[in-house]
Amino acid sequence: MCAADSPLRLRVQFTKQGQARYLSHSEYARTLMISARRAGLPLEYAGTNMSRMKVSLSPPLPIGVTSDCELVDFNLTSYVPAAEACDLLGKATPDGIAPAKCRLMGPEAKPVGKVIDTAVFTAAFPETVGGGELEDAVERFSEMSTLPYQRVQPRRTRTVDIRAGVHGLEVVGETEGRISLKMTVDDGIAGTIKPWEVVEVISGMAGIGREVWQQAEVNRTGLFSRRGDRLISPMDTGAGRSGAGRGARGVRY
Amino acid sequence: MNSTHPGSLADRLQPLLLRVERPSRYLGGEWNSPDIPAESTSVVFAYPDVYEIGMSNLGLTILAEVVNDIEGASAERAYAPWLDMEAEMRREGIPLFSLETKRPVASADIFGISIPHELTFTNVLNLIDLAGLPLHASDRTSGPIVVGGGCGVTNPEPLAAFFDLFVLGEGEEVIGLLVEMVGRAKSQGWGRTRLLEEASRLRGVYRPDDYLPEYADDGTLKEMIPQSGAARKVTKNLVDLDDWLYPTHPLVPFCEAVHDRLNVELFRGCTRGCRFCQAGMTYRPVRERTAGEVVKLVDELAQSTGYDEVSLCSLSSTDYSRIVDVTSRVAQVCEHRRMIMSLPSLRMDAMSAELASRLDRGGRGGLTFAPEAGSQRLRLVINKPISEGDMVDAVMCAVRAGRRRIKLYFMIGLPTETDEDVAEISKLVFRLRDAVKAEKLTPPSFNVSVSTFVPKPHTPFQWCPQITGDEIRHRQDILKATLRARSMNLSWHDREMSTVEGLLARGDRRLGRMVENCWAAGGRFDSWSDHFDFERWMRAAADSGIDPGYYLYRQRRPDEVFPWDHLDFGVDKEFLQAELSRAMEATTTPDCRVAECSECGVCEGLSVQPVLKGSDS
Repeated sequence: MCAADSPLRLRVQFTKQGQARYLSHSEYARTLMISARRAGLPLEYAGTNMSRMKVSLSPPLPIGVTSDCELVDFNLTSYVPAAEACDLLGKATPDGIAPAKCRLMGPEAKPVGKVIDTAVFTAAFPETVGGGELEDAVERFSEMSTLPYQRVQPRRTRTVDIRAGVHGLEVVGETEGRISLKMTVDDGIAGTIKPWEVVEVISGMAGIGREVWQQAEVNRTGLFSRRGDRLISPMDTGAGRSGAGRGARGVRY
Repeated sequence: MNSTHPGSLADRLQPLLLRVERPSRYLGGEWNSPDIPAESTSVVFAYPDVYEIGMSNLGLTILAEVVNDIEGASAERAYAPWLDMEAEMRREGIPLFSLETKRPVASADIFGISIPHELTFTNVLNLIDLAGLPLHASDRTSGPIVVGGGCGVTNPEPLAAFFDLFVLGEGEEVIGLLVEMVGRAKSQGWGRTRLLEEASRLRGVYRPDDYLPEYADDGTLKEMIPQSGAARKVTKNLVDLDDWLYPTHPLVPFCEAVHDRLNVELFRGCTRGCRFCQAGMTYRPVRERTAGEVVKLVDELAQSTGYDEVSLCSLSSTDYSRIVDVTSRVAQVCEHRRMIMSLPSLRMDAMSAELASRLDRGGRGGLTFAPEAGSQRLRLVINKPISEGDMVDAVMCAVRAGRRRIKLYFMIGLPTETDEDVAEISKLVFRLRDAVKAEKLTPPSFNVSVSTFVPKPHTPFQWCPQITGDEIRHRQDILKATLRARSMNLSWHDREMSTVEGLLARGDRRLGRMVENCWAAGGRFDSWSDHFDFERWMRAAADSGIDPGYYLYRQRRPDEVFPWDHLDFGVDKEFLQAELSRAMEATTTPDCRVAECSECGVCEGLSVQPVLKGSDS
């Protein structure tokens, strides 16, 4: 079956590590689009002169933060097996960016940028930070119903309720002698709480100095769609009625 | 970040990256980055502006690939760090580093700095200083040899004190010879002096130390006296394009470069003979690539880069002898690879407009032309005799093809220009608009960009004075008052930047101290209008005993010796003088590709011929 009249969406989970963490969101998006072209995927284009690649990206990652889970949808004009797409992308991406998983989504699946509302981050503190002081701060934070935070941006400063945007916060065990903070926060269509904001607030409550908490290594471990208490990964939804994966190989280009 | 090379600064750089704007400028590791062997003759090519601008430089891309193809040699890159990064580097004591291995530039064997134009001179000095090298060539006893190249070395005299060598003309061949010589010097234990002496004997290599200026009482240059047996003139390098592979694996940056596309060179040189154009005089003769090679390159490069746009570049793309053929064949490649083709540097005629409109599938809504002057008389003076009929045809063609914007480049301050000529720019734009209206079509918007003419060395106008700052303002005011309509936008160049550019363009060695003083006073990124400080330049001039008016506003005597006369770019001074006379009579000189030889001296002097590939496939 030719997939040309039944649009396909290739959903890819990338990791963003190493020097790639210094790329801004727009640079990262550009990198993925060039990678997809270099990979030779049958990409769909839009715009008046068919000059704009149809892609949907997960919420921006702050510069300097690594990620195990960056999601992207590429619209395709014809079928390509997910495993082959993953292989092609793996050869085309630069150091630091690698596809971890690919799957084909059906035409009715919402673009990834429109379903994500939650992210999970870990922040690994320097070895000098002990678990006790952080646990106490996390407990006090969790007991609060609201916590105003002044967000300073280049063009405006505004106050947000950081407590309302944090849905889970815990101190996780030591890894290589470092204590980590695991946080589940709003990220995407529901608004955004930045991981550094939570690190700053908790560190402040724990009496950890700026020069110490700024050395924390932050990593995004997952992106989700929140349904009640459940976190649903966009990699696990959306393929139900698509028929994706059943197309004929021969119609690829 | 690559930290495997001994001496790599990667670990020290990492904390800085989170404190600066656009850390991707300092990462390296782009697609097609070469593996750099630890033990090799290393060249660092540096560009005196930010990464996004430097990455668009085709010359450095070509040279880097040439060096990386040499066994036992490697090419790395460095760019001017932005002000925030420079401050961080100086605070942390981190010297200028290469993007590939993050090693200090000072540990390289050759430090090649591209000099694109005069307003990068302070950044050039900053690169040398940030590298931790003594600023003056005479103070350097170790470290890499500092070599300058690029368009800015048509008159490198204001920078003579800071460079060990300059390379005149095209660098493909000479960079290989220089790398080989440095390798030999290392293995045989030559001293720095011997290496520089040997290198200065290579064709096109100019060692400023070999020439001593002698000035007359009136301040003009009397003579450049060759020292220790140096030749009276240094002749530029010229390569046969068929002998040199075009880079097939250019680096693809993570961020958007200013020319964010694939560049394939159609040909080098231009013999149209526009009298204000330095590139047209110094890159002669015309040498074309075959259409088949161009098409093959586009296909290969599209695969190796992943770009979605290709630009067929040259000094005047529609002058390529098989332009229709090559563009239709490249269009097929673009169709297959879902790319857009663009043709920069268009002549203003219907053929060019039609070609661009037909082939540029992306459209982008606009076309750009450069009539340069508003009146027909002045266009004859500058030897760019585009008729108004051709301009109307070009605009009509663009509008019929759906173009909504026309950008027009003009200059003010051209020799013999009067206020009427300036006013004629506005009248011409209105006539173009009215011609579209007369055909019952919706006129496009006209973006009129007006720069100030700066007389450049090696051109027929090198004898002419530049107009003063007050005169620039007066002529800009004429345009501001007359070019007023809803569909017309006027933009103009900063007159003070043009003044400094003009001062440096025809400067001599005495200006070196001024450039150094300006740099020491904080001069950086002078080609960025928000960082350019005219007062700082004028203070530096005063502190150095320089009278800018002497260099800017003086009509040179016909027999005056210029600071660049000993640098031979092929075109005879007699030809330039004759062209100036013809300009004053508003007489044109035809292109030698379609008419008889204009006797510019290039073919005879350099023993070459124009290479046109009209009959080749």
